[in-house]
Amino acid sequence: MRFVDEFRDAEVGRALAGEILSLVEPGRHYKVMEVCGGHTHSIYKYGVDDLLPANVELVHGPGCPVCVIPMGRVDDGIALSHEDGVIFTCFGDMMRVPGSEGSLLDAKADGADIRMVYSPLDALRIAKQNPDREVVFFAIGFETTAPSTALTLKRARAEAIENFSCMCSHVTIVPPLRALLESPDLRLDGFIGPGHVSTIVGARPFEFIPADYGKPVAIAGFEPLDILQAIVMILRQLATDRCEVENQYKRVVPYEGNVRALEVMAEVFELRPHFEWRGLGFISHSGLRISDAYADLDAERRFSVPGVRVADPKACQCGEVLKGVIKPWECKVFGTACTPERPIGTCMVSSEGACAAYYNYGRFAREREVV
Amino acid sequence: MTVLKLDPQRSLALCVSEDGRRISVETALVDPVDVGEVLLVHAGTAIAHGGAG
Repeated sequence: MRFVDEFRDAEVGRALAGEILSLVEPGRHYKVMEVCGGHTHSIYKYGVDDLLPANVELVHGPGCPVCVIPMGRVDDGIALSHEDGVIFTCFGDMMRVPGSEGSLLDAKADGADIRMVYSPLDALRIAKQNPDREVVFFAIGFETTAPSTALTLKRARAEAIENFSCMCSHVTIVPPLRALLESPDLRLDGFIGPGHVSTIVGARPFEFIPADYGKPVAIAGFEPLDILQAIVMILRQLATDRCEVENQYKRVVPYEGNVRALEVMAEVFELRPHFEWRGLGFISHSGLRISDAYADLDAERRFSVPGVRVADPKACQCGEVLKGVIKPWECKVFGTACTPERPIGTCMVSSEGACAAYYNYGRFAREREVV
Repeated sequence: MTVLKLDPQRSLALCVSEDGRRISVETALVDPVDVGEVLLVHAGTAIAHGGAG
């Protein structure tokens, strides 16, 4: 298939791996963070890290949209799903994310009308089909998904669908990256920038990383050769003392992003002063809420939402995994008490979660020799 | 996803994924779109032209 096969060529992959080997200094350890959960998934699905020298370490970042939703937010969703007459809709991954007293899937088993949807448009369709019910869409995701929610709210307004509303839990990628860069826990040499988020926001928002923190960034696609080429770009910058944002994913990511998407997001959303991230705590201006212009479609204003903060379970180390401080297999409950079938932490729930990627592709431990 | 059929008035396209799944896709962010074109789709909305990966 076009845009796929040419980015999975094994011979080119081996050539890129050779180039990576030629760029690393023996004795130096390189830590490169892939921001996006989609990259983490591709790295282990295609065995990209097996092609890297042992002194090039890939560190997994906070870019899985399901993983970062805090327990209190899940509890809020469950509370809304129990409101009289409500049909609560959400993406499939969110159904299994644990709240303090179970998941949305558990609430569904208890009788709440909770339905899995593929897109916000599906939720709007359910609202049209059920005019005597209130349909709430649990919106999650980074800038990649937020435009879809924004367009759906505009469509609801244009079609005068009054029984539809949205519980907005969209987040933005730059504030957590800045928080990670300010963290004393982590020393990073560069970033593989998030390809799909960059499709919307463009390359410009990442320029603070080289400018303020002196780290190279290569925005990358999701095929194995995309990721290998991005690593080459980062190592080449380090080898030649350059530091900038490079765009490996030019076939999809324009420098200025998707201007129409940014406009529709600016119309429908506004930044929250603070938003809580699972494992990372409250981060300023990192979450989106529905703007006053669309307040009538905001489920948090239409219904009473508890909004109680709930601490993560003590056994779960999702926070450290999301910050790249530990590898999934270093978590105390990884693969034992916490599995994809019975997850304790969000990183084991989502297909983009680092723990799920490690578990599904058999990375139960990893010892590598430094070249 | 590859575009099979267009409904330009409603900014919708019928698309097929790599594994043969067919869905309706919102195209307002990337219009104009042509039949046979590959779109990058997230949550039922096309966010870019080209690049399935």
